[in-house]
Amino acid sequence: MSHLHIPDGILPPALWIAGLVLTALGLAWSGPAAARGGPRLIAYQSALGGIMLAVMALPVPITAFDYCMTLAGPVGVLLGAAPMFQVSFVVTLILALLGQGGFTVVGLNTLVLGLGAMLARPVYLKSVRGLGPARAVALATATSQLVSTLGWVLVLLLSVRLTPDIAGEHEIARGLVRGIHGVGAAIVLAMLLAAVAIESLLGYGLARFLARVRPDLLPSPSATRGAAPGGPSLHEAHPSGRT
Amino acid sequence: MNNTFAQIDHLASAGDSPWHRSSALTKLLLVLTYVTLAVVTPSWGVLVALLVTLIAMCVSARAPLRLMFAAAATPFLFALIFAAAHVSTDWDEPLVLFARPMVASLAAVWLVITTPYPDLFAPIARVTPRLVGDGLFLTYRAFFLLVNRADRMWTALKLRGGLTGRGLPRDFRSAGEGLGQLVIHSYDRSQRLYAIMHIRGHSGRVCGCRHWAEFSAFDLVPVLFGLAALALRFWMEGR
Repeated sequence: MSHLHIPDGILPPALWIAGLVLTALGLAWSGPAAARGGPRLIAYQSALGGIMLAVMALPVPITAFDYCMTLAGPVGVLLGAAPMFQVSFVVTLILALLGQGGFTVVGLNTLVLGLGAMLARPVYLKSVRGLGPARAVALATATSQLVSTLGWVLVLLLSVRLTPDIAGEHEIARGLVRGIHGVGAAIVLAMLLAAVAIESLLGYGLARFLARVRPDLLPSPSATRGAAPGGPSLHEAHPSGRT
Repeated sequence: MNNTFAQIDHLASAGDSPWHRSSALTKLLLVLTYVTLAVVTPSWGVLVALLVTLIAMCVSARAPLRLMFAAAATPFLFALIFAAAHVSTDWDEPLVLFARPMVASLAAVWLVITTPYPDLFAPIARVTPRLVGDGLFLTYRAFFLLVNRADRMWTALKLRGGLTGRGLPRDFRSAGEGLGQLVIHSYDRSQRLYAIMHIRGHSGRVCGCRHWAEFSAFDLVPVLFGLAALALRFWMEGR
């Protein structure tokens, strides 16, 4: 799976309290920006948040293994930074209430999931002219997933740093600890990089389909400039008359 | 896992244990007490006592064993990674690292199987920004509408040869197209929801029901459990 929610009681308090404070600041920042979209944006945000929960809950049955994805990158492209941060918080909170992730670490889990996804739309808008929608979404998804992965690794490193460690009293113990760290890091990093690749490929397929069937759902660089978050399609009736 | 979500929702709405009759606010406070105790206590004795109490609470709320096991096992992988990263010569430290998230996860499961989601989200929506509060209700509702559709879509894709397992690029393309259909469906759904919100006179806030703070004699049970946990912590750590 491409996401691993941090549970309660493992990280030092300084870290998760800082996470809660930063998330509260993020919500305060994103609130007015998302509110400008009105109820239509809230409805769209919630629908995409529902998809994120659904794909996190339901594995994609690819080949011999089932794979749980986040869809944070493509949803970040479709929604934009401020609404995406709110969706990340809501999804993380619902998962915490269902026993996945923790209550005290809702802030850190939101930051890990949300900060990467918030970058997705800017990356997409910068690259869509040169690469086309499908490749641009793949690039945005890869960037988003990579930033989330780095955030996750950073949380792990900080937590190890901030917790007093009494290992290393003996030379053999120190060597053993180093060995465990090395093997563990290699396995975890390989898993996370594989997740980046898989998530990007699925993002590519998703954007290729959207570009063919409903291109109005994908943000365009000219239409988004100066527009409220949520993409142009949220502020105009669809050409087909569907509202 | 969609069945798990549906099962949780059914248990929360149809259960009739004393826990189900307590108010959401009292249960939320009990869970916060347990999680705080689990996070701050360095004593594995306190954690074992909390775990045993929570298992008893889940069983008395008629939680299926499979659900309890899944909740207890979910944080295992991260705890294992952290324990490996923070390996030390203390024998009880890894035990504490594994027990803490298990206490929190079981507490969360106990809460969601005894509290219907409107009651559960209403007090949370009071302390979060308005848009987030609305998002909680609407996202949870959207999830149930979408998860069955996603399940049916994967089945259809498999039956029609979209996910053959013969080539990863082709499978990824098919899976991505399936997800694209889901996005389009959710967009259309959100437009209908927006229209419904307008017709029903959406005032800028989705209101949860008001039962979440209706207290009764059944609220004494979670209060007593909370006080007992606090007393146990001070007694065990004060020795």
